Amino acid sequence: MTNNDILLKAFVTILEIEASKIDDDLKYQSIAEWDSINHMFLINEIESVFNIEIDSEDILYFKSFKETKVALSKYNVTF
Amino acid sequence: MFSNKHNNLINLIKDSQSLKFIDVESNKIYYLNDMLFDLDTMDLPRSLGFLYLDTSLISLKVYLTFLNSPHALVLLSDSIDLKLKENLEDSYLPTFIIDSKRAKIPKYTTDKITGNASIIDLHINTSYTTKLHENIKILLSTSGTTGSPKLVKLSEDNILKNALSICEYLPIATTDVTPLNLPLHYSYGLSVLHSNAISGTTIVCGLPDILNKDFWNYLEEHKFTSIAGVPFIYEMLKRIGFMKKSYPSLKYITQAGGNLSQNIKMEFYEYCNDNAIEFFVMYGQTEATARISYVPPADLKNKITSIGKPIKNGKITIDDKTGELLYSGPNVFGGYANEIENLACWEDIVHLRTGDLADKDEHGFYYIKGRLKRIVKVFGNRINLDEIEAYLKSRLNMSLLACTGIDDKILLIAHSNEALNESELKKAIFASYKIQGSAIKFKYFEELPKNKSDKIDYNKIILQYLDN
Repeated sequence: MTNNDILLKAFVTILEIEASKIDDDLKYQSIAEWDSINHMFLINEIESVFNIEIDSEDILYFKSFKETKVALSKYNVTF
Repeated sequence: MFSNKHNNLINLIKDSQSLKFIDVESNKIYYLNDMLFDLDTMDLPRSLGFLYLDTSLISLKVYLTFLNSPHALVLLSDSIDLKLKENLEDSYLPTFIIDSKRAKIPKYTTDKITGNASIIDLHINTSYTTKLHENIKILLSTSGTTGSPKLVKLSEDNILKNALSICEYLPIATTDVTPLNLPLHYSYGLSVLHSNAISGTTIVCGLPDILNKDFWNYLEEHKFTSIAGVPFIYEMLKRIGFMKKSYPSLKYITQAGGNLSQNIKMEFYEYCNDNAIEFFVMYGQTEATARISYVPPADLKNKITSIGKPIKNGKITIDDKTGELLYSGPNVFGGYANEIENLACWEDIVHLRTGDLADKDEHGFYYIKGRLKRIVKVFGNRINLDEIEAYLKSRLNMSLLACTGIDDKILLIAHSNEALNESELKKAIFASYKIQGSAIKFKYFEELPKNKSDKIDYNKIILQYLDN
Protein backbone atom coordinates (compact mmCIF):
# COMPACT_ATOMS: atom_id res chain seq x y z
CA MET A 1 0.00 0.00 0.00
CA THR A 2 1.17 3.53 -0.74
CA ASN A 3 1.25 6.08 2.05
CA ASN A 4 -1.79 7.68 0.47
CA ASP A 5 -3.67 4.37 0.74
CA ILE A 6 -2.61 3.92 4.35
CA LEU A 7 -3.76 7.43 5.24
CA LEU A 8 -7.02 6.94 3.38
CA LYS A 9 -7.63 3.72 5.28
CA ALA A 10 -7.00 5.50 8.60
CA PHE A 11 -9.64 8.10 7.67
CA VAL A 12 -12.12 5.43 6.61
CA THR A 13 -11.52 3.44 9.81
CA ILE A 14 -12.04 6.39 12.15
CA LEU A 15 -14.64 8.46 10.35
CA GLU A 16 -16.62 5.40 9.21
CA ILE A 17 -17.30 6.92 5.81
CA GLU A 18 -16.81 5.62 2.27
CA ALA A 19 -13.33 6.10 0.80
CA SER A 20 -14.99 7.78 -2.17
CA LYS A 21 -16.06 10.64 0.10
CA ILE A 22 -12.47 11.44 1.01
CA ASP A 23 -10.42 13.71 -1.19
CA ASP A 24 -7.80 16.43 -0.72
CA ASP A 25 -10.48 19.02 -0.03
CA LEU A 26 -12.13 17.15 2.86
CA LYS A 27 -11.80 19.50 5.83
CA TYR A 28 -12.03 19.18 9.59
CA GLN A 29 -15.62 19.89 10.70
CA SER A 30 -16.89 19.98 7.09
CA ILE A 31 -18.81 16.75 7.75
CA ALA A 32 -20.53 15.57 10.95
CA GLU A 33 -18.21 12.57 11.24
CA TRP A 34 -15.01 14.65 11.34
CA ASP A 35 -15.70 16.33 14.67
CA SER A 36 -13.22 17.17 17.41
CA ILE A 37 -13.56 13.79 19.11
CA ASN A 38 -12.92 11.85 15.93
CA HIS A 39 -10.10 14.27 15.14
CA MET A 40 -8.26 13.09 18.23
CA PHE A 41 -8.97 9.44 17.37
CA LEU A 42 -7.68 10.16 13.88
CA ILE A 43 -4.42 11.61 15.20
CA ASN A 44 -3.93 8.46 17.30
CA GLU A 45 -4.70 6.25 14.30
CA ILE A 46 -2.25 8.15 12.09
CA GLU A 47 0.44 7.79 14.75
CA SER A 48 -0.24 4.09 14.92
CA VAL A 49 -0.34 3.28 11.19
CA PHE A 50 2.80 5.29 10.38
CA ASN A 51 4.51 4.41 13.65
CA ILE A 52 5.28 8.04 14.49
CA GLU A 53 4.67 10.40 17.38
CA ILE A 54 3.04 13.65 16.38
CA ASP A 55 4.21 16.72 18.32
CA SER A 56 1.44 18.48 20.18
CA GLU A 57 1.91 21.77 18.33
CA ASP A 58 1.52 20.06 14.95
CA ILE A 59 -1.98 18.74 15.69
CA LEU A 60 -3.49 22.10 14.82
CA TYR A 61 -2.23 21.73 11.24
CA PHE A 62 -4.07 18.51 10.33
CA LYS A 63 -6.98 20.57 9.06
CA SER A 64 -7.83 18.73 5.85
CA PHE A 65 -6.87 15.53 4.08
CA LYS A 66 -4.41 17.54 1.99
CA GLU A 67 -2.94 19.48 4.91
CA THR A 68 -2.55 16.23 6.83
CA LYS A 69 -0.25 14.98 4.08
CA VAL A 70 1.74 18.22 4.18
CA ALA A 71 2.01 18.07 7.98
CA LEU A 72 3.20 14.45 7.83
CA SER A 73 6.18 15.33 5.64
CA LYS A 74 7.89 16.59 8.81
CA TYR A 75 7.80 12.98 10.02
CA ASN A 76 9.35 11.64 6.81
CA VAL A 77 6.02 10.30 5.65
CA THR A 78 5.90 11.43 2.03
CA PHE A 79 3.15 11.33 -0.57
CA MET B 1 -29.68 43.92 46.23
CA PHE B 2 -31.88 44.14 43.13
CA SER B 3 -35.19 45.94 42.90
CA ASN B 4 -38.29 44.46 41.30
CA LYS B 5 -37.61 45.73 37.85
CA HIS B 6 -34.59 43.44 37.88
CA ASN B 7 -36.65 40.33 38.25
CA ASN B 8 -35.46 38.89 35.00
CA LEU B 9 -32.19 38.21 33.29
CA ILE B 10 -32.55 40.46 30.26
CA ASN B 11 -33.25 43.52 32.44
CA LEU B 12 -30.07 42.88 34.37
CA ILE B 13 -28.19 42.42 31.11
CA LYS B 14 -29.58 45.74 29.85
CA ASP B 15 -28.26 47.42 32.98
CA SER B 16 -24.70 46.16 32.40
CA GLN B 17 -23.29 49.33 30.89
CA SER B 18 -19.89 47.87 30.14
CA LEU B 19 -21.23 44.81 28.27
CA LYS B 20 -19.76 44.44 24.76
CA PHE B 21 -19.56 41.75 22.14
CA ILE B 22 -16.66 41.11 19.79
CA ASP B 23 -17.32 39.16 16.63
CA VAL B 24 -14.04 37.70 15.41
CA GLU B 25 -15.42 36.97 11.94
CA SER B 26 -16.12 40.64 11.19
CA ASN B 27 -13.63 41.91 13.80
CA LYS B 28 -16.24 44.39 15.05
CA ILE B 29 -17.49 45.46 18.44
CA TYR B 30 -21.20 45.45 19.22
CA TYR B 31 -23.21 46.76 22.16
CA LEU B 32 -26.44 45.23 23.40
CA ASN B 33 -28.60 47.60 21.35
CA ASP B 34 -26.82 46.47 18.19
CA MET B 35 -27.64 42.89 19.07
CA LEU B 36 -31.42 43.12 19.23
CA PHE B 37 -33.60 42.50 16.19
CA ASP B 38 -36.82 44.43 15.88
CA LEU B 39 -39.71 42.13 16.76
CA ASP B 40 -42.49 44.75 16.49
CA THR B 41 -43.55 43.45 13.10
CA MET B 42 -43.87 39.94 14.42
CA ASP B 43 -46.94 40.79 16.51
CA LEU B 44 -47.37 37.46 18.23
CA PRO B 45 -48.78 36.72 21.66
CA ARG B 46 -46.48 34.66 23.88
CA SER B 47 -45.67 31.59 21.78
CA LEU B 48 -43.32 28.64 21.51
CA GLY B 49 -40.26 29.21 19.32
CA PHE B 50 -37.47 26.90 18.18
CA LEU B 51 -34.07 28.56 17.88
CA TYR B 52 -31.34 26.58 16.11
CA LEU B 53 -28.06 28.09 17.25
CA ASP B 54 -24.30 27.93 17.02
CA THR B 55 -21.81 30.35 18.60
CA SER B 56 -21.80 32.93 15.79
CA LEU B 57 -22.70 36.59 16.19
CA ILE B 58 -26.03 36.05 14.44
CA SER B 59 -26.98 33.22 16.82
CA LEU B 60 -26.14 35.40 19.77
CA LYS B 61 -28.27 38.21 18.33
CA VAL B 62 -31.17 35.81 17.82
CA TYR B 63 -30.92 34.43 21.33
CA LEU B 64 -30.68 37.82 23.06
CA THR B 65 -33.53 39.20 20.94
CA PHE B 66 -35.87 36.43 22.01
CA LEU B 67 -34.66 36.47 25.59
CA ASN B 68 -35.93 40.05 25.43
CA SER B 69 -39.40 38.86 24.38
CA PRO B 70 -42.28 37.09 26.15
CA HIS B 71 -41.81 33.91 24.11
CA ALA B 72 -40.80 30.46 25.35
CA LEU B 73 -37.71 29.17 23.56
CA VAL B 74 -36.41 25.73 22.72
CA LEU B 75 -32.65 26.06 22.13
CA LEU B 76 -31.16 23.50 19.78
CA SER B 77 -27.96 22.84 17.88
CA ASP B 78 -28.24 24.00 14.28
CA SER B 79 -26.11 21.07 13.14
CA ILE B 80 -28.50 18.24 14.02
CA ASP B 81 -29.89 16.26 11.10
CA LEU B 82 -32.87 17.66 9.23
CA LYS B 83 -34.88 14.57 10.07
CA LEU B 84 -34.30 15.03 13.79
CA LYS B 85 -35.31 18.68 13.50
CA GLU B 86 -38.53 17.72 11.74
CA ASN B 87 -39.32 15.07 14.35
CA LEU B 88 -38.92 17.59 17.13
CA GLU B 89 -41.04 20.16 15.33
CA ASP B 90 -43.76 17.55 14.71
CA SER B 91 -43.76 16.79 18.44
CA TYR B 92 -43.99 20.37 19.67
CA LEU B 93 -45.53 22.37 16.79
CA PRO B 94 -43.59 25.58 17.46
CA THR B 95 -45.29 28.78 16.31
CA PHE B 96 -42.01 30.13 15.00
CA ILE B 97 -38.63 28.73 14.00
CA ILE B 98 -35.28 30.34 13.33
CA ASP B 99 -32.83 28.10 11.51
CA SER B 100 -30.21 29.58 9.20
CA LYS B 101 -29.76 26.16 7.60
CA ARG B 102 -33.25 26.14 6.03
CA ALA B 103 -34.64 28.72 3.60
CA LYS B 104 -38.13 27.20 3.66
CA ILE B 105 -39.93 24.98 6.13
CA PRO B 106 -43.10 23.11 5.08
CA LYS B 107 -46.30 24.46 6.73
CA TYR B 108 -44.51 27.68 7.74
CA THR B 109 -44.50 31.05 5.99
CA THR B 110 -41.22 32.86 5.87
CA ASP B 111 -40.92 36.38 7.15
CA LYS B 112 -37.95 38.62 7.79
CA ILE B 113 -36.89 40.35 10.95
CA THR B 114 -34.30 43.10 10.81
CA GLY B 115 -31.76 44.42 13.21
CA ASN B 116 -28.60 46.45 13.10
CA ALA B 117 -27.47 45.81 9.49
CA SER B 118 -28.72 42.24 9.49
CA ILE B 119 -31.82 40.45 8.33
CA ILE B 120 -32.83 36.93 9.21
CA ASP B 121 -35.58 34.55 8.19
CA LEU B 122 -38.34 33.84 10.66
CA HIS B 123 -40.60 30.88 9.85
CA ILE B 124 -44.08 31.32 11.29
CA ASN B 125 -47.23 29.28 11.56
CA THR B 126 -49.76 31.22 13.63
CA SER B 127 -52.26 28.36 13.56
CA TYR B 128 -50.02 26.55 16.05
CA THR B 129 -50.97 27.90 19.44
CA THR B 130 -49.21 25.77 22.00
CA LYS B 131 -50.50 26.05 25.54
CA LEU B 132 -47.57 27.25 27.64
CA HIS B 133 -47.28 27.45 31.39
CA GLU B 134 -46.41 31.03 32.36
CA ASN B 135 -43.17 29.96 34.10
CA ILE B 136 -41.57 28.36 31.06
CA LYS B 137 -38.92 30.51 29.39
CA ILE B 138 -36.15 28.20 28.12
CA LEU B 139 -36.32 24.55 27.12
CA LEU B 140 -33.10 22.58 26.76
CA SER B 141 -32.44 19.06 25.61
CA THR B 142 -30.43 16.95 28.03
CA SER B 143 -28.57 15.20 25.27
CA GLY B 144 -27.72 18.14 23.03
CA THR B 145 -27.24 16.57 19.66
CA THR B 146 -29.40 13.48 19.45
CA GLY B 147 -32.70 15.18 18.76
CA SER B 148 -34.45 13.52 21.69
CA PRO B 149 -37.84 15.12 22.40
CA LYS B 150 -37.10 15.12 26.15
CA LEU B 151 -36.74 18.75 27.20
CA VAL B 152 -35.89 20.40 30.51
CA LYS B 153 -38.28 23.20 31.47
CA LEU B 154 -36.58 26.30 32.88
CA SER B 155 -38.06 29.59 34.07
CA GLU B 156 -36.88 33.20 33.98
CA ASP B 157 -36.21 32.85 37.67
CA ASN B 158 -34.14 29.66 37.19
CA ILE B 159 -31.76 31.26 34.70
CA LEU B 160 -31.49 34.52 36.64
CA LYS B 161 -30.81 32.87 40.01
CA ASN B 162 -28.30 30.42 38.62
CA ALA B 163 -26.39 33.21 36.86
CA LEU B 164 -26.33 35.26 40.08
CA SER B 165 -25.04 32.30 42.11
CA ILE B 166 -22.31 31.67 39.55
CA CYS B 167 -21.25 35.31 39.75
CA GLU B 168 -20.81 34.86 43.49
CA TYR B 169 -17.91 32.44 43.12
CA LEU B 170 -16.31 33.02 39.73
CA PRO B 171 -13.95 36.03 39.68
CA ILE B 172 -15.84 37.72 36.84
CA ALA B 173 -14.96 41.40 36.35
CA THR B 174 -16.11 44.04 33.87
CA THR B 175 -12.63 44.03 32.31
CA ASP B 176 -12.89 40.32 31.43
CA VAL B 177 -12.78 39.10 27.84
CA THR B 178 -14.72 35.85 27.70
CA PRO B 179 -14.75 33.52 24.70
CA LEU B 180 -18.03 31.78 23.94
CA ASN B 181 -16.41 28.46 23.19
CA LEU B 182 -19.32 26.23 24.23
CA PRO B 183 -22.64 26.03 22.35
CA LEU B 184 -25.62 28.08 23.51
CA HIS B 185 -28.00 25.12 23.41
CA TYR B 186 -25.87 23.51 26.12
CA SER B 187 -26.66 24.60 29.69
CA TYR B 188 -22.98 25.12 30.57
CA GLY B 189 -22.42 27.31 27.48
CA LEU B 190 -25.56 29.28 28.23
CA SER B 191 -24.45 29.80 31.83
CA VAL B 192 -21.14 31.28 30.63
CA LEU B 193 -23.08 33.77 28.48
CA HIS B 194 -25.57 34.67 31.22
CA SER B 195 -23.09 35.12 34.06
CA ASN B 196 -20.80 37.24 31.88
CA ALA B 197 -23.59 39.29 30.34
CA ILE B 198 -24.98 40.40 33.71
CA SER B 199 -21.43 41.19 34.85
CA GLY B 200 -20.81 43.46 31.87
CA THR B 201 -17.77 41.72 30.42
CA THR B 202 -16.62 41.60 26.79
CA ILE B 203 -18.00 38.46 25.18
CA VAL B 204 -16.27 37.04 22.12
CA CYS B 205 -18.32 35.13 19.55
CA GLY B 206 -17.83 33.54 16.15
CA LEU B 207 -14.84 31.54 17.34
CA PRO B 208 -13.51 28.37 15.74
CA ASP B 209 -12.94 25.46 18.14
CA ILE B 210 -9.73 24.98 20.11
CA LEU B 211 -8.27 22.62 17.51
CA ASN B 212 -7.98 25.59 15.14
CA LYS B 213 -4.84 27.68 15.24
CA ASP B 214 -7.05 30.76 14.87
CA PHE B 215 -8.62 30.18 18.28
CA TRP B 216 -5.18 30.63 19.85
CA ASN B 217 -4.43 33.67 17.68
CA TYR B 218 -7.69 35.27 18.86
CA LEU B 219 -6.88 34.40 22.46
CA GLU B 220 -3.67 36.38 22.12
CA GLU B 221 -5.16 39.23 20.11
CA HIS B 222 -8.18 39.83 22.35
CA LYS B 223 -6.51 38.67 25.59
CA PHE B 224 -9.08 36.12 26.71
CA THR B 225 -9.34 35.97 30.49
CA SER B 226 -11.02 32.56 30.79
CA ILE B 227 -11.78 29.30 28.98
CA ALA B 228 -14.62 26.89 29.78
CA GLY B 229 -14.36 23.21 29.01
CA VAL B 230 -15.90 19.79 29.38
CA PRO B 231 -13.54 16.89 30.20
CA PHE B 232 -12.85 16.15 26.55
CA ILE B 233 -11.78 19.76 25.92
CA TYR B 234 -9.25 19.40 28.74
CA GLU B 235 -7.97 16.17 27.23
CA MET B 236 -7.57 17.95 23.91
CA LEU B 237 -5.88 20.93 25.58
CA LYS B 238 -3.38 18.57 27.13
CA ARG B 239 -2.77 16.76 23.83
CA ILE B 240 -2.22 19.97 21.84
CA GLY B 241 0.38 21.15 24.35
CA PHE B 242 -1.65 23.85 26.12
CA MET B 243 0.39 23.39 29.30
CA LYS B 244 3.71 23.86 27.49
CA LYS B 245 2.98 27.54 26.96
CA SER B 246 1.85 30.47 29.04
CA TYR B 247 -1.08 32.79 28.45
CA PRO B 248 -0.61 35.94 30.51
CA SER B 249 -4.18 37.18 29.94
CA LEU B 250 -5.84 34.06 31.42
CA LYS B 251 -7.29 34.65 34.90
CA TYR B 252 -9.28 31.51 35.41
CA ILE B 253 -10.48 28.36 33.64
CA THR B 254 -13.54 26.28 34.43
CA GLN B 255 -14.32 22.60 33.99
CA ALA B 256 -17.76 20.99 34.17
CA GLY B 257 -19.89 18.55 32.19
CA GLY B 258 -18.58 15.34 33.67
CA ASN B 259 -15.68 13.86 35.53
CA LEU B 260 -12.18 14.79 34.36
CA SER B 261 -9.74 12.01 35.15
CA GLN B 262 -7.74 12.67 38.28
CA ASN B 263 -4.29 12.71 36.62
CA ILE B 264 -5.26 15.30 34.08
CA LYS B 265 -7.06 17.37 36.71
CA MET B 266 -3.92 17.33 38.85
CA GLU B 267 -1.73 18.34 35.90
CA PHE B 268 -3.99 21.29 35.17
CA TYR B 269 -4.02 22.17 38.85
CA GLU B 270 -0.21 22.26 38.91
CA TYR B 271 -0.05 24.22 35.69
CA CYS B 272 -2.61 26.78 36.91
CA ASN B 273 -0.90 27.06 40.24
CA ASP B 274 2.42 27.86 38.54
CA ASN B 275 0.82 30.36 36.18
CA ALA B 276 -1.44 32.27 38.57
CA ILE B 277 -4.60 30.94 36.92
CA GLU B 278 -7.54 29.89 39.06
CA PHE B 279 -8.88 26.45 38.13
CA PHE B 280 -12.56 25.89 38.94
CA VAL B 281 -13.82 22.32 38.91
CA MET B 282 -17.61 22.37 38.93
CA TYR B 283 -20.60 20.05 38.94
CA GLY B 284 -24.12 20.49 37.69
CA GLN B 285 -26.98 19.33 35.53
CA THR B 286 -29.25 20.89 32.95
CA GLU B 287 -32.08 20.14 35.41
CA ALA B 288 -30.42 22.62 37.79
CA THR B 289 -30.20 25.18 34.94
CA ALA B 290 -26.47 24.42 34.90
CA ARG B 291 -24.61 24.72 38.19
CA ILE B 292 -24.98 22.82 41.46
CA SER B 293 -21.56 22.94 43.11
CA TYR B 294 -17.92 23.96 42.64
CA VAL B 295 -14.56 23.40 44.29
CA PRO B 296 -12.91 26.61 45.49
CA PRO B 297 -9.54 26.68 43.67
CA ALA B 298 -7.61 26.95 46.95
CA ASP B 299 -9.09 23.61 48.06
CA LEU B 300 -8.68 21.76 44.79
CA LYS B 301 -5.34 20.15 45.57
CA ASN B 302 -6.66 18.48 48.72
CA LYS B 303 -10.08 17.77 47.27
CA ILE B 304 -9.07 16.70 43.79
CA THR B 305 -11.81 14.08 43.39
CA SER B 306 -14.56 16.21 44.93
CA ILE B 307 -17.40 18.03 43.20
CA GLY B 308 -17.05 20.68 45.92
CA LYS B 309 -19.70 22.52 47.86
CA PRO B 310 -23.09 23.81 46.76
CA ILE B 311 -23.35 27.21 45.09
CA LYS B 312 -24.91 30.11 46.97
CA ASN B 313 -28.61 29.56 47.71
CA GLY B 314 -28.30 25.90 46.81
CA LYS B 315 -28.43 22.97 49.17
CA ILE B 316 -27.21 19.41 48.76
CA THR B 317 -28.54 16.51 50.79
CA ILE B 318 -28.05 12.79 50.41
CA ASP B 319 -31.01 10.43 50.34
CA ASP B 320 -30.78 8.18 53.40
CA LYS B 321 -32.13 5.16 51.62
CA THR B 322 -30.51 5.32 48.20
CA GLY B 323 -27.42 7.48 48.71
CA GLU B 324 -28.56 9.69 45.86
CA LEU B 325 -27.41 13.31 45.68
CA LEU B 326 -30.44 15.60 46.02
CA TYR B 327 -30.22 19.26 45.19
CA SER B 328 -32.57 22.07 46.10
CA GLY B 329 -32.36 25.70 45.16
CA PRO B 330 -33.97 28.41 43.02
CA ASN B 331 -32.35 26.96 39.90
CA VAL B 332 -34.16 23.59 40.04
CA PHE B 333 -36.19 23.04 36.86
CA GLY B 334 -39.95 22.63 36.49
CA GLY B 335 -39.98 19.08 35.18
CA TYR B 336 -39.46 17.43 31.81
CA ALA B 337 -41.48 17.79 28.67
CA ASN B 338 -41.71 14.70 26.50
CA GLU B 339 -44.59 15.96 24.41
CA ILE B 340 -46.51 19.13 23.69
CA GLU B 341 -49.07 18.66 26.51
CA ASN B 342 -46.28 18.80 29.10
CA LEU B 343 -45.67 22.46 28.21
CA ALA B 344 -48.95 23.48 29.86
CA CYS B 345 -47.73 22.59 33.34
CA TRP B 346 -44.92 23.31 35.76
CA GLU B 347 -43.91 21.10 38.65
CA ASP B 348 -42.51 22.69 41.77
CA ILE B 349 -39.66 20.32 42.45
CA VAL B 350 -38.16 20.69 45.91
CA HIS B 351 -35.46 18.06 45.56
CA LEU B 352 -33.83 17.47 42.24
CA ARG B 353 -32.95 13.78 42.11
CA THR B 354 -29.63 13.85 40.26
CA GLY B 355 -29.27 10.11 39.79
CA ASP B 356 -25.71 10.41 41.11
CA LEU B 357 -24.66 8.54 44.23
CA ALA B 358 -22.62 10.71 46.55
CA ASP B 359 -21.12 11.11 49.97
CA LYS B 360 -19.76 13.97 52.00
CA ASP B 361 -16.49 14.38 53.90
CA GLU B 362 -15.96 16.01 57.29
CA HIS B 363 -15.28 19.39 55.64
CA GLY B 364 -18.59 19.45 53.79
CA PHE B 365 -17.18 18.50 50.37
CA TYR B 366 -19.21 16.13 48.23
CA TYR B 367 -17.94 13.20 46.14
CA ILE B 368 -19.69 11.29 43.36
CA LYS B 369 -19.51 7.55 43.93
CA GLY B 370 -21.51 6.23 41.04
CA ARG B 371 -24.78 6.51 39.22
CA LEU B 372 -28.18 5.28 40.25
CA LYS B 373 -29.62 5.26 36.76
CA ARG B 374 -28.12 3.52 33.80
CA ILE B 375 -26.82 6.75 32.34
CA VAL B 376 -23.29 7.21 31.06
CA LYS B 377 -21.45 10.00 29.37
CA VAL B 378 -19.51 9.10 26.28
CA PHE B 379 -17.27 12.07 25.55
CA GLY B 380 -19.71 14.36 27.31
CA ASN B 381 -22.71 13.01 25.46
CA ARG B 382 -25.28 11.95 28.05
CA ILE B 383 -26.56 8.53 27.07
CA ASN B 384 -29.34 6.50 28.61
CA LEU B 385 -28.09 2.92 28.25
CA ASP B 386 -31.55 1.41 28.48
CA GLU B 387 -32.66 3.64 25.62
CA ILE B 388 -29.72 2.60 23.42
CA GLU B 389 -30.31 -1.01 24.34
CA ALA B 390 -33.95 -0.78 23.33
CA TYR B 391 -33.00 1.00 20.10
CA LEU B 392 -30.47 -1.66 19.16
CA LYS B 393 -32.76 -4.53 20.10
CA SER B 394 -35.50 -3.23 17.87
CA ARG B 395 -33.14 -2.31 15.04
CA LEU B 396 -31.40 -5.67 15.11
CA ASN B 397 -34.47 -7.58 16.10
CA MET B 398 -32.55 -9.49 18.71
CA SER B 399 -33.00 -9.69 22.45
CA LEU B 400 -29.58 -11.04 23.42
CA LEU B 401 -27.89 -7.72 23.73
CA ALA B 402 -26.68 -5.47 26.53
CA CYS B 403 -25.07 -2.04 26.60
CA THR B 404 -22.84 -0.61 29.24
CA GLY B 405 -20.35 2.23 29.57
CA ILE B 406 -16.70 2.25 30.64
CA ASP B 407 -14.96 5.33 32.11
CA ASP B 408 -17.07 7.83 30.15
CA LYS B 409 -15.11 6.81 27.05
CA ILE B 410 -16.56 3.59 25.72
CA LEU B 411 -20.00 2.32 24.91
CA LEU B 412 -19.69 -1.45 25.18
CA ILE B 413 -22.21 -3.57 23.33
CA ALA B 414 -22.35 -7.16 24.49
CA HIS B 415 -24.18 -9.48 22.11
CA SER B 416 -24.66 -13.07 21.01
CA ASN B 417 -24.82 -12.56 17.29
CA GLU B 418 -21.79 -14.00 15.53
CA ALA B 419 -22.71 -12.28 12.27
CA LEU B 420 -23.17 -8.79 13.71
CA ASN B 421 -22.24 -6.08 11.19
CA GLU B 422 -20.24 -3.85 13.52
CA SER B 423 -19.38 -1.18 10.99
CA GLU B 424 -22.97 -0.66 9.91
CA LEU B 425 -24.11 -0.51 13.51
CA LYS B 426 -21.46 2.07 14.37
CA LYS B 427 -22.70 4.28 11.56
CA ALA B 428 -26.29 3.95 12.73
CA ILE B 429 -25.37 4.77 16.33
CA PHE B 430 -23.40 7.83 15.22
CA ALA B 431 -26.32 9.02 13.11
CA SER B 432 -28.84 8.66 15.95
CA TYR B 433 -26.81 9.28 19.09
CA LYS B 434 -23.63 11.05 17.90
CA ILE B 435 -21.40 8.48 19.55
CA GLN B 436 -18.17 8.17 17.56
CA GLY B 437 -17.41 4.73 16.13
CA SER B 438 -14.06 4.59 17.90
CA ALA B 439 -15.88 4.90 21.22
CA ILE B 440 -18.10 1.89 20.48
CA LYS B 441 -16.77 -1.55 21.31
CA PHE B 442 -18.35 -4.94 20.81
CA LYS B 443 -17.96 -8.11 22.78
CA TYR B 444 -19.38 -11.41 21.69
CA PHE B 445 -20.71 -13.79 24.34
CA GLU B 446 -22.07 -17.23 23.61
CA GLU B 447 -24.37 -16.48 26.51
CA LEU B 448 -24.67 -13.07 28.16
CA PRO B 449 -23.57 -13.15 31.82
CA LYS B 450 -26.46 -13.08 34.28
CA ASN B 451 -26.59 -12.64 38.01
CA LYS B 452 -28.46 -14.74 40.55
CA SER B 453 -31.76 -13.01 39.92
CA ASP B 454 -31.38 -13.80 36.21
CA LYS B 455 -30.71 -10.19 35.23
CA ILE B 456 -27.90 -9.11 32.93
CA ASP B 457 -24.68 -8.79 34.94
CA TYR B 458 -23.16 -5.62 33.52
CA ASN B 459 -20.14 -5.71 35.81
CA LYS B 460 -19.21 -9.16 34.60
CA ILE B 461 -19.55 -7.96 31.01
CA ILE B 462 -17.13 -5.10 31.65
CA LEU B 463 -14.67 -7.32 33.50
CA GLN B 464 -14.63 -9.92 30.74
CA TYR B 465 -14.19 -7.20 28.12
CA LEU B 466 -11.28 -5.65 30.03
CA ASP B 467 -9.71 -9.08 30.53
CA ASN B 468 -9.10 -9.53 26.84
